[in-house]
Amino acid sequence: MKRYFQFSILSMVFTYLLIFVGGLVRVSGAGMGCPDWPKCFGRWIPPTSLSQLPDYIDPEKFNLVLAWVEYLNRLFGALVGLIILITFILGYLHFKSSKKVLYSISGAFLLTLLEGWVGAKLVDTVLDPITITIHLLLALVIIGLIIYSSIQAYFAIVGNFEKDSKYHPHAKNVILGILVCLFIEIIIGTEIRGGLDMSRKDNPLIEGIILLKMLGPFKYMHTILGFSLLGLTLYLRKIIYDNKFKSSPFMVNSVNFIMVLIFTQILLGEALVFFEVKPLMQLFHMWFSSLLIGLSVSTYTYWKISIEQ
Amino acid sequence: MIKKSYIIFLVVIISFLGISATWVITKANQSIQELPPVIKKVPDFEMVSHLGKPFNQDSLINKISILDFIFTSCPGPCPTMSSNMRTLYKQYKLHPDLQFISISVDPEYDTQEVLKAYADANGVNDQRWKFLRADMKAVKKLSTDGFMFMSESLPAGHSVKFVLIDQNGNVRQYYNGTDAGSIAILRTHINSILKNIKPKA
Repeated sequence: MKRYFQFSILSMVFTYLLIFVGGLVRVSGAGMGCPDWPKCFGRWIPPTSLSQLPDYIDPEKFNLVLAWVEYLNRLFGALVGLIILITFILGYLHFKSSKKVLYSISGAFLLTLLEGWVGAKLVDTVLDPITITIHLLLALVIIGLIIYSSIQAYFAIVGNFEKDSKYHPHAKNVILGILVCLFIEIIIGTEIRGGLDMSRKDNPLIEGIILLKMLGPFKYMHTILGFSLLGLTLYLRKIIYDNKFKSSPFMVNSVNFIMVLIFTQILLGEALVFFEVKPLMQLFHMWFSSLLIGLSVSTYTYWKISIEQ
Repeated sequence: MIKKSYIIFLVVIISFLGISATWVITKANQSIQELPPVIKKVPDFEMVSHLGKPFNQDSLINKISILDFIFTSCPGPCPTMSSNMRTLYKQYKLHPDLQFISISVDPEYDTQEVLKAYADANGVNDQRWKFLRADMKAVKKLSTDGFMFMSESLPAGHSVKFVLIDQNGNVRQYYNGTDAGSIAILRTHINSILKNIKPKA
């Protein structure tokens, strides 16, 4: 059982790294680094020079750096898939009795397979924007399921660590509200990103900041929802710290971390608008949002465990 | 409440990720914008534009040129090539330093009037896109000696490549003129050259 817990934590860490690497592929423009899938230019080890290209591929498409960036993402993806598979097998062996653990890790594993398939479709469709968004959302659902299963496994191993906690009756809805807003916020964010890419294609020499202004309502919705999220989180923090109730340190730390991250996200987001759209900042903006999803799922799980007998 | 060591750990991880990511992004950007060194210099030539003005190797100096070979009655790849060229022509309308050159490989049919009509049909309304003609021998010579294209079976067997020529009249890169992916790379190269020559202008 402990082994399962260790592997589920490993799955979580590696999935987060994979989300980061995936974002890196996106911001460095390496999405089509390999024009075929699963091989890269017809080879299991990507070519290191033009002379290694097979004769049916246009050498013009070849860019050494982009090919390797994309291919490392795939290799790393395969590794993460393997780790999740092992976690799933351990879950099946040790947690037959705990449906919460078993179902969530099974779901995570199945969605991981689906995620690989969507990745292949991304290459097929030459980076269709909607498919890119699905690729990210699936990753977020997978990370959510993995985190849920690890915390439930921890509960099964050490017993109810939330038994002394008592949360405000609003806690559940506030947490769910934060989760829903986060998902909507992320979808709008990917729309902004996609729109930016499109208009950049049409206006090659205009600075990113002017293009951003052209995007209009989406940008304002993103900002407004961002501040609403901050409001929700501050409220959650208030009821978590309320003396009439009792919170576990897990909950307190998670909520504080969420708050810090949302502040950071707002600063990063506004910096993207007012200064320049820097790829590195975009990457972290996306990655922090995935951390926020994970933390919100954690707080929900803590709350859920606290009402178990 | 949260241990200091955790915070330090987090900061270290994020810095590490940030530095690695910066390295990858920089490498990727360099690789996209990387232009090969000069492939060869465009040799001397003498042609006439669709407006009846002479055009020779000196007309390439101090301009970035995108050049292709087409003929107006071409049923095959030329419409796609011209359509891609037209998109670029429209997109870069604010950049007089960038010129587009289409050389006819069927000078018998493509008289100056025919080329003028073709230019009009493509919405050409300024000096930035020129349609050139010369006698067949000169066209073949430029196509073969200048750009290393096969020219035995002109007009039908002309190349579908776009050629990027820098401000010194040097061939810098070839792109597939019918392929959107290639054009995207061309656009990146145009942008980086335009940015580089900006301070001089």
